[in-house]
Amino acid sequence: MASYEPVLTKGIGEADLTDIGVYRSRGGYEQLRRAVREMEPDAIVGMVMKSNLRGRGGAGFPTGRKWSFLPKDGRPRYLVCNCDEAEPGTFKDRMLLEQTPHQIIEGIMISAYAIKAARAFIYIRGEMRQGYEIFMRALEQARAANLVGEKICGSDWSCELVAHRGAGAYICGEETGLLNSLEGKRGEPRLKPPFPANSGLYNMPTVVNNVETLVCVVHIMQRGEEWFASIGPVKSPGPKIVSISGHVRKPGNYEVPLGTPIRELVYELAGGLFEGRTFKALQPGGGSSACLFEEHLDLPYDFDSIAAAGSMLGSGAMVVMDDTTDMLDAAWVLQRFYAHESCGQCTPCREGTHWSEAMLERLLHGHGREVDVSLLGTVGDKIAGHSLCALGDASVPFLQSVVKRFPEEFLRGAERVAAIQV
Amino acid sequence: MTSSDFETLKTELEPQIDAILAQYPQERSALLPLVHLFQERLGFVTPEAVEYISEVCDVTRAQCQSTISFYTLFYRRPIGKYNLQVCRNLSCSLRGARQIMERFRERLGIDHLETTADGLFTYEEVECLAACDRAPCMQVNLNFVYDMTPEMVDEILDSIIAGTYPVAPLAQSEQPERKVRGPEWSRASRKSAGAVGVPNANNGGGIDQTGRTIAERFRKFGIMPISSPGRMADPELVEGMVPAPHDDTVMEHNY
Ligand SMILES: Cc1cc2nc3c(=O)[nH]c(=O)nc-3n(C[C@H](O)[C@H](O)[C@H](O)COP(=O)(O)O)c2cc1C
Ligand code: SF4
Ligand code: FES
Repeated sequence: MASYEPVLTKGIGEADLTDIGVYRSRGGYEQLRRAVREMEPDAIVGMVMKSNLRGRGGAGFPTGRKWSFLPKDGRPRYLVCNCDEAEPGTFKDRMLLEQTPHQIIEGIMISAYAIKAARAFIYIRGEMRQGYEIFMRALEQARAANLVGEKICGSDWSCELVAHRGAGAYICGEETGLLNSLEGKRGEPRLKPPFPANSGLYNMPTVVNNVETLVCVVHIMQRGEEWFASIGPVKSPGPKIVSISGHVRKPGNYEVPLGTPIRELVYELAGGLFEGRTFKALQPGGGSSACLFEEHLDLPYDFDSIAAAGSMLGSGAMVVMDDTTDMLDAAWVLQRFYAHESCGQCTPCREGTHWSEAMLERLLHGHGREVDVSLLGTVGDKIAGHSLCALGDASVPFLQSVVKRFPEEFLRGAERVAAIQV
Repeated sequence: MTSSDFETLKTELEPQIDAILAQYPQERSALLPLVHLFQERLGFVTPEAVEYISEVCDVTRAQCQSTISFYTLFYRRPIGKYNLQVCRNLSCSLRGARQIMERFRERLGIDHLETTADGLFTYEEVECLAACDRAPCMQVNLNFVYDMTPEMVDEILDSIIAGTYPVAPLAQSEQPERKVRGPEWSRASRKSAGAVGVPNANNGGGIDQTGRTIAERFRKFGIMPISSPGRMADPELVEGMVPAPHDDTVMEHNY
């Protein structure tokens, strides 16, 4: 671990990477130039495939495979970079956007070339207005330097990059919700299939990738697919930015090789817990992931190990909770989030998240009934797997994992009613 | 704003509108960017703006309204010159967001999604702002404020009132009406506990005649076993327990 040199976050805090001159002086945009002048698009897809890069947006889908699903039928293709980061606890894409926008542009343009996209888009979360402005300045510089637009780097290839601002909706991070929003519609997810690879933006073949995923592509180009595949576990290799927040001394983004033990992330990088506190639980992959506990601290932090422990790596956001945390309260805060962000298309998600929130609020105020605690689990079972998109499913794991682990904290909210009812 | 003012604004923005439309293969994609553009100048999405945008994007006015109403950052009524959006999600709550929210509510005398009578402030509690490493955090007119303390709340409000705050006010083409909250709009009453089987709604989170939630009334008499939201906070920030702010969200998304 000590020997790991960050690549994705390299230079952040040392130099002003938002300036194209600085970015280029550190080797920036050379991979884009090499790609469009010297490489065949399919060769890049092959490299990404062999690197075993898995998506950093939440689902961990192999990126090369996603790209290879695009039908070869001559219809225009689109690449969409997902910078709608709103998963509770995640703040890595915003850092990349504000600190190193040129790296994102380079990743997008290389990937757009690789999949032969007619146009590329980046969907930037509405709340990131400051980041959007930084990105727009970078985009202007890149366009002036012939890195975006017509005949890029003197090659025959032309591609525009359009930045599109969201307007406040977590669900627009879901890829098909995002595409609807990009089409000027309500950001309601679409039924899949058809998948975006076949019928995405304007019903054309479309790839949606996370910011960090596309930034990884730049480094796969630069250092080679073997380098990437050799970092961390074979099935989910590569560098990963982990956003650590909550009850730790040094919250922040830390770039590590996948497979770094969780204990090291919490106790070394993030500085450990506050004086006199003990560890209670952590979410390994954002608000949508089930909690891990004491016994999981020595697990390697990678997609498969976390999944085997019953949770998910998700967006790579770790929220640490110490012994002072009231789990009932924490569950209410997150359930309120899902209830607020549910787009309302499907009944299980729309009603289930709201009623779970209501039950939790009732318990929190000491007005709950014992049956509420088991009902929370039942309602969760009715949502998961019965909703159109993954938001419904995502509202369940944290709640169920903490109810199972700390039932007494939830039952406490039912004591008063139990006493009256005898 | 008169209709001729709107015509003038349209003419002024024409180059930007054309540039936005040129970015997309279909006009409708320009809907969100155009709403942003007009809202930035008008403070909210006025009926004229809706009409114009629906024409340009080739959708009906109903479709345009429906789309706008989906997004929390679009306002269909005038809001305050300073939009205060405090993060209420988990990482911030773990580090003292409750104290920040309490302080704002106390100082402003308004609740979540309300605007002060002078039209200066709109207050909102929002979800994770992707700045959890600097929790608790907030945005003032979409500009981040990090590592908040209750004292900072006073500093921010005082300097905005004094006109020395470094963030520019939002455009305001109309004075906001102060929204009055009635029990019938309260989510707490809609989801009163009675409906899932507790026989009497008064057992649950309903609203009593005084407009307070039942929970608050109990809390006031010290009868209720207060769960301990204050415990989620950083010890350096909190002394003792602070009650959870209730969440009577009024007509969400409905500005
Ligand atoms: C409710 C919901 C919210 C999501 N939010 C985001 C997001 O903010 N950013 C993101 O990159 N992916 C998000 N995703 C995942 C996307 O749907 C999609 O899987 C991802 O952008 C694909 O990129 P990747 O393959 O590079 O990971 C979200 C998914 C769901 C269900
Ligand atoms: S699962 Fe929830 S968020 Fe997803 S489409 Fe259904 S209602 Fe909307
Ligand atoms: S929880 Fe407040 S910024 Fe993420």
